Amino acid sequence: MSAATQHPTALELHGLTRRYPGVLALDGVDLALHSGEVHALAGENGAGKSSLIKILCGADRADSGQMTLFGQPYAPVSPLDAIRAGIRVVHQELHMLDALSVAENLQFEALPRSRWGLLDRRAMDLRARELLAMVGLEDLAPATRVAGLGMAQRQLIEIAKALSARSRIVIMDEPTATLTPRETDRLLQIIRQLRQGGVTVVFVSHHLQELFEVCDRVTVLRNGRKVATQAMAGTRTDDLVRLMVGRDLAERAPRQAAVPGRRSAPALRVQGLRFRGQRGEAGLDFDLHDGEIVGLAGLVGSGRTETVRAIFGADPVDAGQIYRDGRAVRISAPRDALAEGICLVTENRKDEGLILDMPIRANLSLASLDAVSRSGLLHAQAEADVSHRMVAKLQIRLASIQQAVRELSGGNQQKVVLGKWLAREPKVLLLDEPTRGVDVSAKAEIHALLERMAADGLAVLVVSSDLRELMGLCDRMLVMSRGVLVGDLPRAQFDEAAILALAYLEYTRSPGHAMGAQVA
Amino acid sequence: MSSPSGNQHALRRRTLSALREAGIGVALVCLVAVFALLSPNFLTPSNITNIFTQISINVILAVGMTFVILIGGIDLSVGSVMAFCAVVAGTVLKMEGLDTGLAIGLALLASMAVGSLCGLANGAVSAYWGIPSFIVTLGMLNIARGAALQWTQARSLYEFPDAFNNFGSTTLLGVPAIFLVALVLVAVGWFVLNRTVFGRLIYAIGNNEEAVRLAGHNVLAYKIAAFVICGAAVGVGAVIYMTRLTIASPISGIGFELNAIAAVIIGGTSLSGGRGSIVGTLLGACIIGVLANGLILIGMSDFLRQMVTGFVIILAVVLDVYRARLTRSRS
Repeated sequence: MSAATQHPTALELHGLTRRYPGVLALDGVDLALHSGEVHALAGENGAGKSSLIKILCGADRADSGQMTLFGQPYAPVSPLDAIRAGIRVVHQELHMLDALSVAENLQFEALPRSRWGLLDRRAMDLRARELLAMVGLEDLAPATRVAGLGMAQRQLIEIAKALSARSRIVIMDEPTATLTPRETDRLLQIIRQLRQGGVTVVFVSHHLQELFEVCDRVTVLRNGRKVATQAMAGTRTDDLVRLMVGRDLAERAPRQAAVPGRRSAPALRVQGLRFRGQRGEAGLDFDLHDGEIVGLAGLVGSGRTETVRAIFGADPVDAGQIYRDGRAVRISAPRDALAEGICLVTENRKDEGLILDMPIRANLSLASLDAVSRSGLLHAQAEADVSHRMVAKLQIRLASIQQAVRELSGGNQQKVVLGKWLAREPKVLLLDEPTRGVDVSAKAEIHALLERMAADGLAVLVVSSDLRELMGLCDRMLVMSRGVLVGDLPRAQFDEAAILALAYLEYTRSPGHAMGAQVA
Repeated sequence: MSSPSGNQHALRRRTLSALREAGIGVALVCLVAVFALLSPNFLTPSNITNIFTQISINVILAVGMTFVILIGGIDLSVGSVMAFCAVVAGTVLKMEGLDTGLAIGLALLASMAVGSLCGLANGAVSAYWGIPSFIVTLGMLNIARGAALQWTQARSLYEFPDAFNNFGSTTLLGVPAIFLVALVLVAVGWFVLNRTVFGRLIYAIGNNEEAVRLAGHNVLAYKIAAFVICGAAVGVGAVIYMTRLTIASPISGIGFELNAIAAVIIGGTSLSGGRGSIVGTLLGACIIGVLANGLILIGMSDFLRQMVTGFVIILAVVLDVYRARLTRSRS
């Protein structure tokens, strides 16, 4: 109890329950957040973290249960209520006004005004610079339009926005998912500063080592129930995983480097590919063989996404030739790529991968409608069969294939995206950040599935910002740096430091330097 | 995973979407009941036939409009295109030396061709250049009206074959033939939207165009097709309207697009696309028709009637917002 007197309770939840059709999202959750602590909220996707956060920030209401904020009853009916009460959420999905500047986005809730009630641009820019400096974006001009910024920068701006208000409780929902290691370190530093200032931080991340680095206590949710709240010190990683998953995850054996049955021609050969806006003169050249899992590593913005999208025909290319099994093919739209057995799991599942409000079955069949129809007429039974096959293959957890995809957790949504492509039985599978925002066990399932399919001869190219993930999964690793392919490493040469050095290569090269620039 | 709770869940979803149409149906029944109480002349066979006749054209136009609104577009040119279709069809009808049956058939084909071409232009321009269909069809509204007036030098065409003119007033067991035509279009529209790959993709494009494109479908073609379907429906509507009026006027159809849009919206189709149904559209057109007819019978003035219709459109959208909020918060 002495701990409790040291840390007055900031927010107390009592018996919070929320029921959605077919699922009990929160089941009598009790929780006490201490003032000035960093509290980890851990659990698989679908464990109830998102539901809990929605209720805390006023976006949703509990069916029963009470909340007390600094001794006062707290029952927000809108996000505005929560912000007024000093509770702020840094969302996983970013809500930004694309057409406005960084400075305006940072402060649009309370834009500074001059004496005449007009917008005080100078004060706005000044304050914006301050906030940007706090998240390590000193170089970003406050007048920059948000539309042109990448995911990582947007995430940092969103965090800066949360810092701009005097918040007593800041909730961060997967803030590091799109950040590079350096940016993540910076964020953890910010969190420590917030703690010193007496702010309570609720931190959600699938990267467990981040939780260990910065959090004081952890609460684990599983299937809507709280299974434990304990001090982070003295908790071991495997304890935490066991609490989250409810069972021991079998240690995955490091993958045996596949010896692909090298036929005369690679499954995919890319020659001189230049995507729009690519730096330098040289195009990209690489091969991808049947049965091989190849990683495409690099920093955010290095051109990995552009590369896979160009191969798939999602965006126009400036130059380049693609060969499938040795045949030169012309790909000018996704349907050309699909006809050649090439599929792409895009980076952003909500905007590009899924039709959220349509049933799971319609999403699973979207890319293979020819297979579930006869002369233009949908064949409901065929569609249901394909859907059930994919649900079983990918172990998608759902109540019914009639459910809207929106109702699924992130990991299961991602499995639906995968299922949509696997239903076509691709020969070459390109994946862009396939496990972003996906929980530990779904991630392991997706990895295992890719390995099984590679063993069956599928050629796989994976883009990921999680280097450890690529090192564990891939047979070979391509490294991109600022639009240039700088490395092609076999599994035996995988080394985190070496790969990172390659990834920074083109960024450390100053224009005057010759080819053999020094790399730390 | 088809656990018992899973089946229950699926059942609930299905009931939920059926409930939306049922809700509009209940509103329609209540409206009918109220007018039946207020006016002894409302629920008479002749008045019911009357209502069916009055709403037929709007049902036909609204079926086509539903396709366009489902892909997230809108077609403001419907009324003008209808006039253009009508004068072209009228010209064909009055050609010398054609067998009556052949002339009627050709007139219908010509009308549908003109409508389809206007739809093709609307769809191609807006889809290819990414221009909001609101703007493009506003342009077409003027172009088609001008074309209709130019075609006949602002004159109306009349003295069509009797067989043609009589169709507009033919009834089968009290049901007007033109309403049966409208019902056939509703049935075809329902089938296309619910049972074909084309319909599935229309809904999908309205929800998430990019995902559909990346799934290898030719989004441009589907979007254009939606406008062509709308135009073809206008072509049918134009000929049906001529059988009722027995003339083809280049100034007919003014404001008809707004009635069609109102029917679609009252029927629960979302203006942002991707959500809605043909059955809802039919019920929406019925609500507008019953209101117009009933309010006359209870002696309300023209001006007040227009106000009431306006309120109903807004009310329908407000109710739809609440319904969407309800289902979203439950999922």
